[in-house]
Formats: sequence, C-alpha cells, structure tokens
Amino acid sequence: MDIEERDAPGVEEAPRSASRRALFGLGAVLAAGAVAGEALVGEADAAEAATAATAVHRGKQYRTASAAAKAAGRARSRLFPHDPHAHLLRRATFGPRPKDVADLKRLGIDRWLERQLDPRSIKDTRGTKAAALFPLDGAGPGTILRKTKRYSWDAMMATAQATLARQVFSDRQLYEIVVDVFADHLHVAIPGGQWHTTPSWIKDVIRKHAFGTYEGMLLAAMKHPAMLSFLSNDESRRKNVNENLGRELLELHTVGRGAGYTETMVRSSAKILSGRTWDYDTGRYYFNEPWHWTGRVKVLGFSHANASMYRGEQVGDAYLKYLAHHPATARTIARKLAVRFVSDTPSPALVNRLARVYLRHGTSIRAVVDAIFKSSDFWASVGGKMRRPLDDAVGALRVLDVRRAAGMRTPIGWLYWNLNAQGHAPYAWGPPNGYPDVAAAWLGAGAMLQRWNLHRAFVNGWWPKLGWTKPSKLVKRTAGMTTLQWTRAAAKRLLGVTPSNRHLVAVVHGAKLTAGSPAPTDDWRCGKLATLLLDSPYFQLR
Amino acid sequence: MPQNPAPPSDDVLRTLHPDCPDWRRLGPTGEDAALRAMAEAQRVVEEERDAAWAGGFNRRTFLKGGLGVGVAALGAQLVTSRVSYAAADEPQHGTLVVVFLRGGMDGLSMLVPASDPQLVKERPNIGVRAGSLLEFDTARGFGLHPAMAPLRPLIAQGRVAAVPAVSTPDLSRSHFQAQDCLERGSSGSLSTGWLDRVLVASGPGTTFRGVAVGGTTPRSLVGAANPIAMHDLGSVKLDVDKADTAATTAALRSLYTGVDHPIAKQTTLAIGALGTVARIRAAQPAADAVHYPDGNFADALKNLAMLIKGGAGVRVACVDVGGWDTHTGMGNVDRGDMQRHLGDLAAALAAFAEDLGPDRLDDTTVVTMSEFGRRVEENASGGTDHGHGGAVLIVGGGVRPGVHGAWHGLAQRTTLGDIPGWNDYRDVLSEVVGARLGLSAGQLNGVFPGWRAKPLGIAA
Repeated sequence: MDIEERDAPGVEEAPRSASRRALFGLGAVLAAGAVAGEALVGEADAAEAATAATAVHRGKQYRTASAAAKAAGRARSRLFPHDPHAHLLRRATFGPRPKDVADLKRLGIDRWLERQLDPRSIKDTRGTKAAALFPLDGAGPGTILRKTKRYSWDAMMATAQATLARQVFSDRQLYEIVVDVFADHLHVAIPGGQWHTTPSWIKDVIRKHAFGTYEGMLLAAMKHPAMLSFLSNDESRRKNVNENLGRELLELHTVGRGAGYTETMVRSSAKILSGRTWDYDTGRYYFNEPWHWTGRVKVLGFSHANASMYRGEQVGDAYLKYLAHHPATARTIARKLAVRFVSDTPSPALVNRLARVYLRHGTSIRAVVDAIFKSSDFWASVGGKMRRPLDDAVGALRVLDVRRAAGMRTPIGWLYWNLNAQGHAPYAWGPPNGYPDVAAAWLGAGAMLQRWNLHRAFVNGWWPKLGWTKPSKLVKRTAGMTTLQWTRAAAKRLLGVTPSNRHLVAVVHGAKLTAGSPAPTDDWRCGKLATLLLDSPYFQLR
Repeated sequence: MPQNPAPPSDDVLRTLHPDCPDWRRLGPTGEDAALRAMAEAQRVVEEERDAAWAGGFNRRTFLKGGLGVGVAALGAQLVTSRVSYAAADEPQHGTLVVVFLRGGMDGLSMLVPASDPQLVKERPNIGVRAGSLLEFDTARGFGLHPAMAPLRPLIAQGRVAAVPAVSTPDLSRSHFQAQDCLERGSSGSLSTGWLDRVLVASGPGTTFRGVAVGGTTPRSLVGAANPIAMHDLGSVKLDVDKADTAATTAALRSLYTGVDHPIAKQTTLAIGALGTVARIRAAQPAADAVHYPDGNFADALKNLAMLIKGGAGVRVACVDVGGWDTHTGMGNVDRGDMQRHLGDLAAALAAFAEDLGPDRLDDTTVVTMSEFGRRVEENASGGTDHGHGGAVLIVGGGVRPGVHGAWHGLAQRTTLGDIPGWNDYRDVLSEVVGARLGLSAGQLNGVFPGWRAKPLGIAA
C-alpha cells in the first residue's frame, strides 16, 4: 500500500510554534482521548502542571538510554535532586521496591531497561504467585460458564484484582505499566455487561500484545466478543449498521479526530466491521456473513469494492492493518505512551519522533517504549507527572515492600474497593476512552484526604494479611542516630531521594518530634514520619 | 482506627448487576430466552430509533456538540478550579440536591395516573387504587403513593412538583448503559458528568460546591470540578490522633509550600476542608432538633443539611439510593418493597426539609432521577420489568407545584409495554438547574451539548 508515502508528510511537518495557543490548536489534531490534556495547555493552572523542564527541553533521540540520560544533563526540577536512577524508577515502576533499586544499581540503566523490556527474562515467582490467588483471572468464557453462575461478577473481579496483585508484586514492572496504558487505550469497562468475556479480553488482547505490535493488538481486539459487545458491533446488521465501534475505532483507537475523516467514512468504517459478532452461549467470536454490509467502502486512503459478504472479514482485517500503520495512528500511540512516561503535555517533536519509530518497526509497541527511554525528553522531565490514585496506592505498597501473605486476597479486595471509591479501580472507567492520564483530571481536596488516609493504613499495618514491614525496621539504625538522620534515611529508603532539610524538619515536626533528639524506636512514631514522607510531593509527583 | 473499605451492599450490587435477570423470563429455556431478548432488543432499536431521532437526538449531533463543549468546559474549569475552602465572598446561588434512585424506579407507583382505567387492568395486584392515593394534582389525574404521606405538609406549602414519562435518549434496558447515559448527560463519548459541567458553568465556589454524600463520586460528578465524596462528615478527616492533627496539617502545608504543581493548591484546600468540617461538627447541638428516620439515605441528607446550614457553600449534592430494581414483590399500598422504599424516601425528604427550615428550603431544590421507568404491566412475580419512561419528583424551593410535562395516558404505551419518554431528562434537568443555580440558556448549552432545552414549567 502506498498510504505511508502519501501521509508521511504529516509526520515530518510537526507544528513548530512553541506558543501555547498553537499547542492548544494541536489538541484537535490528536486523539480525542488526549483532548483533556491538550485543552489544558495555555491556561494558567495547566501551565503549572507542565513543569518548566518538560516545556522548555528540546529533545533528541540517542543510541542508548544512558547516553540520553547523560545528554539531558541535570534536570531542572526545583523539588527533586538530580538522580537519573531515581527518576527512571519513579517512571518505569509503579514504585520501586528495594530490590528494584538494587537491580538498577547492579545492572545500570541500559541493562536494567533491556531486562524490563524482555519480561520473560525476569523470573517472576512473586508476581505469578500473587496473581494465582485469583484462579478466574483471565479465564475464558467456557471456564467462566462452567465455574460460575450466570452474570456472576466473580471472573471480572478476579481479573481486576489479579491486576492489582501483579502491579504490587510483579518484578516485570515496565510491562505491567504498558498493560495499564493499553487497557485504557483499547478500553472495555470492567465490571460491565460483558461478564464472561472481559477476563479473556485482558489476557488475550491487552496482555498478550502489550509488548507486541499494535497491529496484532488491534486485529485481536476487533475479533474479541468483549469489544464487539461493549461498543455494540454485535448489534450491527447489513440493513441497520450500528456506528458505535466503527466510530470509536477511528476516533479513539487509531487515527483520532482531526485525521480528516468524514461522517461518510465513519459509516464506512462501521460497514466494514459489520458481521463481526459472537455467540453468547460459548462466548466465542464468529463472522456472520449475512450481517455484513457489502458495497464499496472508503475510509481515508483505504478503499475496497467489498463486493462479497464471504470476504467481509478479510476486508476488515485489511482495513485494520491499514489503520494500524497510518501515521496518525502512530501519533496516537506515541502520544499515549509519552503522556504516561514523559509528560502530561509531551512536545509534538517527541511525539513525532516516537511515531516514526512506531512506523519503522512495524507498529511495535515495545520499540516505542524503548525509544522513550532513549530520548533526552524523558530524562529531562523529572517530577512532571503526578501519581493517580492507583499509582499512589500500588506505589506505596511497593516502596513499603509489602510481602505476600496467606489470606492476602482479602486486602487486595479492599484495595480494589478503596480505589473504586477514589474513582480509579482497574478497568472500571465507564466511557470507551479509558482513564485520563493527566494530573488535572485527578486533582481534588477530597482526593488528597483519601490518599493521606490510605498511607496511614498501609504504613501502620491496619490492613491485616498484607505482609507488613514494621516502620521501625524501614531504616538501619546507627549508633547515636538522631530523628533527623532517621528521617533522611527513611526518605532515601522510601522515596529514593534526599529531601531538603527544610522539608525533613517539617516531617519531624509533623510527628511532634525534634530533629536533634534520638531517633524513635517504636513503630507508632516511626510510622508518623514514614507516612508524612509518602504524603509529600516527593512521592506524589513522579 | 479507620474502617476497612467494604464491598458495596447487596442493594448496590443488585443495582449494578451486569445483566438483569429480567429477560430470562422471556422464554422457557435460557437459550430461547436469550434469543427472544436479543430479537426484542433489536426490535426496540428499530422501532424506537426513528422516533427518537425525530425528536432531535442522534448520536452524531451529540458527539459534535460534545467534543467542542468538552474542550470549552475544560478550559472553563481553569477558572472554577480556583476554589476556596470557605464560602467567604463567593456568591451563593442555592443548592441543588440530586437523588439517584438506582435500579429503575417504577414511576407509576410513585406518581400514579389514578384516573387511568388501564392502570388497574394491567396491574391487578400491584396497581395503586385511586381511593388510597395521597392527593397531589387532581386536575391532571395524578396522586402520589400513600406511603409518601410525610410529604403532605410540603405539598400543602406548594413545594412539590413531579414529571411523568421522563427518559434519557438512551433506549437501553441495561442498568449500566442507562445510568451511564443519564449521568454523563450523553450517550456519546463525552467523559465528564452532567453535574460536573453544571459546576463548571456555575463558576468559582468552595471546595464543597460539589459533594457526593453517602458513598463514592457518582459518574454525574466526574470531571474537572473535583467534588468531595464523603461517607458522612465524620469521614472528612485525617486518620491521625486528634492531638496530632494540627502538627500533621502544618507539616503538610510546609511540604507543599512553593511546589510548582497544582497538587500544592489541593493540599491547601484539603486542609481547609478539614477545618470547615471540624467547625461545622463542633457547632452541632448535642441533640438533633429534627428527627430523621433510620437508613443510609436519611443519614446522607442529615449530613448534607449540616453542610448547607454550616455555610460550606454546597452548590450541587448527590445522594444515591439503591433497591429500586423491583422485579418481584412490589406489594400493595400496605406492604411490600414499593411501600417501604417510597415511605423511606418521603420521610427522609420531609425531615431534610424541616431541618433546613423554610428560608434555606427556599434556596434548595431536590430532584430525583432513575435510569429508566418500568413496564406498565406487572409480571408473574408481582413485580415489573425494565421499561422506559419514568417519573421525576422535585421538592423544595422555586418550584411550581403539581404535575408538569406531557402525559398521553397509559393506552398510548408502546407495543413493548413501556411508557415512552414523552418528556426528556435534559429538559427537566435544564429547567431545574437553570432556575436553581441561576444559569442562563447559554451556560446550560454546555451541560447537555447539542440539546436545546424546552422548559416544562417546573420552575416558579
């Protein structure tokens, strides 16, 4: 196909203007899912959200991540001291366990990333065992039909809670983060009406392809009952084509609004997909030829006679491949990943560089992730992202190094419901565009209180059956250690940074202690110090 | 020690059940029922689509309006997010309380078209008879369920209005989809809630300008305005020893001072909110002046009344009540689910009104909503199945008493046995919100994008 040639200039001609107004305008060109983030640029509040570092840095790609880190130099963050290892761990894990810190120190940036990008090279007993507590996690429809009552929530809940278990316990952190990004990108709400098909959606579409190609993921998605049902393609008929999936495929999943498609093309998109349906009793996909609309279809540069209903599925696959390789899709995917790893407002230049990597590597997601760490933009973006509720909760459990414990299913369930109350349980977002990944969507006074209280529950071990690290044991005590010294060591241990003295003293006073007094030895007072460290911007920003 | 987070109650789970067992009654076997259900769903879509689109709605216009407005709203958020934690110099527009009756409330049991002979014919066991009704709008032939007698004084004061046959543009019988459509105010891909857009349109306010009482943030409040969700006032606290609160909050302030990120401001607001709630709680008299009935809903209203009376600046409040998915055992006027639920609803609302007192009640409007109404005909289990048009109750200040909106009688029900959506939720809500919060038609445009609201005459 010649579409790449034809559309390629779109990639090269990045908007150059650095004006905020221009950035705002660009929002319309990018995926609708990103509109929130874009729309915020150009106004005072949002300007705060994009740190100076990310806004000003002119990035480049480097051969290795460590070279990119070096080239980025000392990142301009008023809060975080210069420390590339700590920055990488804040972004490429939900929160570093001591083991992650040690691994990175031992392997160095490049080898550590290489391992994370090849998750099978990491023996992950802990993560596998934690997820295994939820036997229906990722179960196929047949198993669910056999093992649960009709309309049971069991398998949906098992899948969502096993996700949390993996995020907390797996050593394959980068992979779990990318899974999270794509579960929001190709989003199907769980819980939802798709009670016996969403577990395998997560396993066979999202997890299976998260480090594969986006083409593979998209092809699998558009043949999966969960998506076909969630966006009503199973209601599409030759004579009455349902537009829902055909529209979101363009708007959310691939090229995005602004790619230049018309309403007629949206109709065509839906027509191409008609016939893709599934069988309720088996939960299996099939192509129902008589439901397929036939006749010429044209969407952007894709055109097909689509003359036979018997070839309708093949036409659809060709169309999906066309979309997966479209430069506008490349920018959509590049931007999604850049928003997760680099900034709420990644520069168009970075997005375009990543989009080129995506196209050059046959829509490889892993290649884009790899390229992000090889950009100086990444290394210059210190402290510019805020933890969302799930990042905060899972991250806190990880930095506290909670261990697996018998009966852990129960507190993982609590974690799920707590996050649900904070509006961020895995997969539970209702609309088809997935959870927003920008700070502005998650700010709120009530939200702050919920986070602070959760830190207290975790640090003080109020949730039984999560292997708790006693706060007094967080830090190796030395002879004559003062409270300030203990707090500094605890900060290094939990946050990976050494906060300013002013902030350390604030924490000490917050626990009603004095800096020069002997370090506390009891869990209660050590817990107060540790909790305030998690409450602090050193943990809340990443 | 804080409570551990509990899974939702059975009520809520049942309300959110992925696919209501309703359709299984359609056939002798599971497969047969499923086939018929799918066929019926398809027929509904085909039959009702034209009518719905003729009414001005289609998904496309929603999306077109939706996106533009989404962007504009998020732009405007940058103004409204400059909130304060005390009411101080912010203009007060009164309070809108949205009560979501989860599960599909049977409008015909609450707002009874008593003079319609069809009612008792189709509902021989559960239909509310004319003789037992609470008098409401005799001229239009409607009364209220007798269990709602606690509202009698409010009716007498002219503070109660109702609208029959209200629906969303969503024709789904799925709780999920219908609630989603109603709460987002759109079946398109707009991701903010309609009440969030109301808050954005209504300008700056306090941290408490959007609150969800009794549970988590409902989808209607999701978005840029960042509401406070609370179980009750007691849960708006930091889980530290009382004696440590001051030191802890002082430390948090120091840690976030000078941090170049909007999270810093949220810290200040959160600490301010703690102070507001502590002040309001401290000012509570030892004994309650008003007796609220038992139950979560009444508790939520009681807490909400404290916030309103305490001057917290509540502009929009959401309260959820589960248990309205009455497929079985709806009962009669003396006993059964409807009698109990409607009785609880009315008693709690009456207590809330009394607690606020006449002046504050003038500035407060309560509106109920539910994802859909139920079918006219009763089913074999003494219940009713998912339908379409349902009833809305409006209580408080600024309403014209009585029944408003179109009603064409039960004989005009659809071939599927539903009451059609003769009145659109967006018309009802636009009017109530506009009057209560002083929003212009232009401002309301962003609330229900692409919808030109027609007032039904609810607002005084």
